[in-house]
Amino acid sequence: MADETFLSDDLLRQLMSVGEVDLLVGILSHSSANTMRRAAHYVEKSLQQNFVRQRVAIISVEGGTVEDTRSDGDSSDGQPGSSFYSKGLSSLRTIHRITAGFSGTPSPGLALRTILSSSDLLRAKACAVVSPATSSMSPEWVANLLRPAFRDNFDFVAPLYSRHKFQGLLARNLLYPMTRALFGRRIRELYSDEWAFSSRLGTYCLNEDVWHEEPVRSRPEAWMGISAITSDFRCCQVYLGEKPSPPDGAGPDLVEVLRQTVGSLFWLLETHQQAWMERKGSEPVPTFGPEHAVTSEPMELNRTRMFEMFKTGVKELEPILETILSPETLLGIQSIAALDEHSFRFGADLWVTVLYEFAASYHHSVINRDHLVQALVPLYRGKIYSFIAEYADASAADMEEASENLCLEFERQKPYLTEKWKAGVEVKS
Amino acid sequence: MRVTIVQGLEQAYYNLVHMIAEFLPRFVVMLVIILVGLLAAYLLRHMFRAVLRLTKLDRVSEDAGASRVLRMADLPSMTELLSRSIFWITWLGFILIGVSVLGVAGLQEQISRLFRFLPEVFIAMLILFLGLVLANFLSRAALLASVNAGVRSPKIWSWSIRFVIWILAISMALDELGLARQTVLAAFSIVFGASMLGLAIAFGLGGQDLARRALERYLGNSAKEKYKEPQPL
Repeated sequence: MADETFLSDDLLRQLMSVGEVDLLVGILSHSSANTMRRAAHYVEKSLQQNFVRQRVAIISVEGGTVEDTRSDGDSSDGQPGSSFYSKGLSSLRTIHRITAGFSGTPSPGLALRTILSSSDLLRAKACAVVSPATSSMSPEWVANLLRPAFRDNFDFVAPLYSRHKFQGLLARNLLYPMTRALFGRRIRELYSDEWAFSSRLGTYCLNEDVWHEEPVRSRPEAWMGISAITSDFRCCQVYLGEKPSPPDGAGPDLVEVLRQTVGSLFWLLETHQQAWMERKGSEPVPTFGPEHAVTSEPMELNRTRMFEMFKTGVKELEPILETILSPETLLGIQSIAALDEHSFRFGADLWVTVLYEFAASYHHSVINRDHLVQALVPLYRGKIYSFIAEYADASAADMEEASENLCLEFERQKPYLTEKWKAGVEVKS
Repeated sequence: MRVTIVQGLEQAYYNLVHMIAEFLPRFVVMLVIILVGLLAAYLLRHMFRAVLRLTKLDRVSEDAGASRVLRMADLPSMTELLSRSIFWITWLGFILIGVSVLGVAGLQEQISRLFRFLPEVFIAMLILFLGLVLANFLSRAALLASVNAGVRSPKIWSWSIRFVIWILAISMALDELGLARQTVLAAFSIVFGASMLGLAIAFGLGGQDLARRALERYLGNSAKEKYKEPQPL
């Protein structure tokens, strides 16, 4: 049952006036009212076209900085007929709209908790979460996310996107292969802005006492996905479409992204250690649509600067890396950092060893955990530089083969992580 | 004459015997106190070490960067250092109590002064330790931030932060001990003021271009100069 004590009176009033629904779509907070309106319009359109007989509701989680999205005639009272997005589309059912307002921009974790509590109180059978920041979102996305959870009894629906071959490299080189090798399910996009889930998984997650944890506050979708995998909920992935990169400067800072995603992954390894240590190999999950698609338009990248930052990082952070990595691994990093730009290659085996040693050091808290994740940034830049150099002219099939080989390397070295994980921390005295 | 000498010797002998008779029990008491103190110090050391190991202080110390500083100074781990300190402080306390039993004139006053001074020594040590931990933590944070932002000479920023916090901690510790208050205050003001003035002059004279570029970046006029890398997600 939802803990509704953190829900505002206004929100509870709106939820009570709605009653029960079959489907709920949550729209996460965004600083621009225009993008919120556009996302809400697509969601409403999708629900009107694809779920004409179902009782549906849309909940917008909004921060205080958002311009008033109710200004176009919406009363946001959850009452039927007060549509400001509707452009003459017809539906057999009324689409209820709910606004969960916060004084400041709520964290993604708080936004998800609000959506889960609302879903629980409304007894929604399936729920999707979408982000207004995704510029390429279309009405089909919402329907594609909701269908497996609502009609096919899947509990967790992860998205799949088509991307430029050099976008999403953190997912391709670290997040996907590592989660796949350790948790045993081949879900490519656990760190995404859009996903869906069943009421079973929603209620399970709502009752977990982790909402105060920073990794859950910042990346709740990854925690939800891993919880679904480790608790044997039915998972699947569904192709949504192209996900363009945000315009220059609009995307989050690399350091911040690594702190959130890799920090969250390492934390998840710790909280679910029993689950990942017992699993061997990996299994595919049902996939609707193509599993991978890449585009390859020319892209302007400052590769030389990337390589310089890797070399500087290895040199300047040596005392920190010494405490995190084993002497052999550090020597391996230093020897490739001594290579010139053209002959430089960051091999899969070394990359996997580095990541596993970082994960074990995170577990043993050899230094402050946030500092530890930040120390990975220069090494990630080195790996990405090497990847771009290696696959500059590669086809989608070649890149897919490389990804698969990297995943297998992660699986092959898993016993090494287990060994390092279980080993006591070496305290020098 | 002979009788006088013999009487004098007898008197000296009696005085010596009397002194020894009076001193010996006190000396024995002192030895007992010191031995008991040694035993108590050993016990306390082992108990304290066990408690610190249970609380995983070494891990916290490693996490805060204090262990690295201790290693650099060729000192043992934090648990070992604190338990040894407890041993020596306890035993020293017992030694001083034992010595005071001897009743040596003037020594009592010095010992009581030393005991009155001990809390201030502890506070000064605590200030130094916290300063050390804070300096290491913040300097490491600065190093990571500047390396990841691609700032040139990141160690300069890291060391500057470490240096300023050390100076501050040492000044506060000396001030707590009441040692040369005026001199310490003046020295701190001079060092800190000179550093800031030096930085201001260096930035003003040598960093005009840097300041212009920083302002341009801040005001968003040079988006082209921004370092581009692929979106990670």
